[in-house]
Amino acid sequence: MTDEISTTQSGEPGLDAFQDTMEEFLAAADVRVVYGEPIQHEDTIVIPTAEVLCVLGFGLGSGSGTNTQQNAESPSVGKGNGGGGGGRILSRPVAVVIASPEGVRVEPVVDITKVALAGLTAMGFMIGMMFRMSRRRHALRSIQT
Amino acid sequence: MFEIERDIRSGESQHVGDYEIIPQTNVFLVKLRGHHGGFIWNRPRAVIVRTIDGEERILPVQDVTRNILWGMLAGGLLGAMLIGMINRNK
Repeated sequence: MTDEISTTQSGEPGLDAFQDTMEEFLAAADVRVVYGEPIQHEDTIVIPTAEVLCVLGFGLGSGSGTNTQQNAESPSVGKGNGGGGGGRILSRPVAVVIASPEGVRVEPVVDITKVALAGLTAMGFMIGMMFRMSRRRHALRSIQT
Repeated sequence: MFEIERDIRSGESQHVGDYEIIPQTNVFLVKLRGHHGGFIWNRPRAVIVRTIDGEERILPVQDVTRNILWGMLAGGLLGAMLIGMINRNK
C-alpha cells in the first residue's frame, strides 16, 4: 500500500483566491444587487431597493533569497509569498417599488434613527458653539471693565 | 493609478399585470490598477414603467434620508454662520 501525495501548482497560490474575490467585488456593481428579489402578495409585487457601498483592497508579495554564511559550497535557497487584504460592504434601504394592477409607485424608506442621530449631533455642535461664543464675550467684557 | 467609471445600468424587465418594469441604477466604480481593489457605489436611479399601450413613464427613486441629511447639514452651516454674524454685531 502506498500513500500518494498530489500537488497542484497553478502559478501563485493565492492569486486565484484574490481573482475570485475581485470578481465577487465587481458583482456589487450589478443592478440585481440594488433591486432585491420581488415579493409577491396577492396581486401586488414589492421590490425593495438599497444603496450599496463596497470597498476592497489587497496586496500580494513574494521573494526569495540564498544563504551562503553557513555553507558556502552549497548555499540554502528559500522563497516565500504572502498576501493580505480587507474590505467592507455597506448597504442601506432607499425605497420600495410597489407594483399592483392599479399602477406602479415608488415609496421612499426614511431611516429615522440616522436622521435623529444626525440631528442630535448637529444640535450638540450648535449648542457647543453658542456656549463658546458667549464665554468669549464674557471674557472680553471682563477685560474691558 | 486607478480608473474611474460612472454608468447608468438597466436590469432585466419584470412583468406585473399590464406593466413592464425596468430598474435602473447609478454606478460609480473606482478600480485600482492591477486589480488590487477598488470602490463601488451602486444606488437606485429610477424605474421605467411601460404599459401595453406603449406609454412609458420614468419614476425616479429618491433617497429621502440623504436629502434630509444634506438639508440638515446646510441648515446647520447656515445657522452657524448666522450665529457668528449676530455675535460679531453685538
